[in-house]
Amino acid sequence: MPTVLVIIHGLVAVALLGAITHQTLSTWAPASPRPGSFFGRFRTVPSPAFTNAIIVLYAITATLGAIVYLYFRVDIRPAMEQANRWELLGFFDLKEHFIAIGLALLPAYFVCWRPPPGEVSTRTRTALTSLLAFIVWWSFLIGHVMNNIRGFGE
Amino acid sequence: MTSRPAFRRFAFGFGTAFAVLYVVALAKKLALFTVYPSLGVVLWGTHFSGDVVDPALGFLAPAMYWYGWTGTAALGALVVGLLAVVIPERWARRLWRGWLWVVPAAAMLGCVYLTLPWFSLNP
Repeated sequence: MPTVLVIIHGLVAVALLGAITHQTLSTWAPASPRPGSFFGRFRTVPSPAFTNAIIVLYAITATLGAIVYLYFRVDIRPAMEQANRWELLGFFDLKEHFIAIGLALLPAYFVCWRPPPGEVSTRTRTALTSLLAFIVWWSFLIGHVMNNIRGFGE
Repeated sequence: MTSRPAFRRFAFGFGTAFAVLYVVALAKKLALFTVYPSLGVVLWGTHFSGDVVDPALGFLAPAMYWYGWTGTAALGALVVGLLAVVIPERWARRLWRGWLWVVPAAAMLGCVYLTLPWFSLNP
């Protein structure tokens, strides 16, 4: 069961990573009407259209992560402690803290992408989106590394 | 729906207050509840493994506080968010919108600071 959950958790996280990366890059550097490169086409997305998907994917990923975390604490962390992998456990703790802060920012992020004209500045929206993108990237990378070191199903 | 000023104020108040309260909960170890996953037990408040089993056997009942810290911060942020709804709109407009990302970013740095001891545990 934990293995199935962690795989689903990872797959949803990949979708979230893609969506928020599209949105963040298109916010920072909007593409020209006729993009010529791959990077240009990558940014040619309607950023607001990603908002709901990102919120749903973030919520699902965080929920699955919160469930998997129970197994991690009992089965994985003690082994990491015995192996003196304290720095990795520290990075993992940061991931949990960042995810919680990001989760609470989702309502504000939702509002920022659907404001009345002039209510929220583009800078605030860009900064908030970038903050969430950082949280998602950090969490994905640390979770991936941790899973590679000691995945489930042993 | 989302353009309603009340919801906007709640969302902004909740998000920023949560970030601050989460760091406070983390620093002061104020967990709303403690989870013992190996025992299937959830206790109100902050408890340590030695509280539920013999201290020498504490490793058999690892305690989890992340859920409790999140609960503490969410509860406090809910109150702040609701207070933000009832304050006059003209007061809300005076607040710099940048706090919405500056406060969580600062809170994340606070979390980094509080996590630093982990990195000094290496032999």
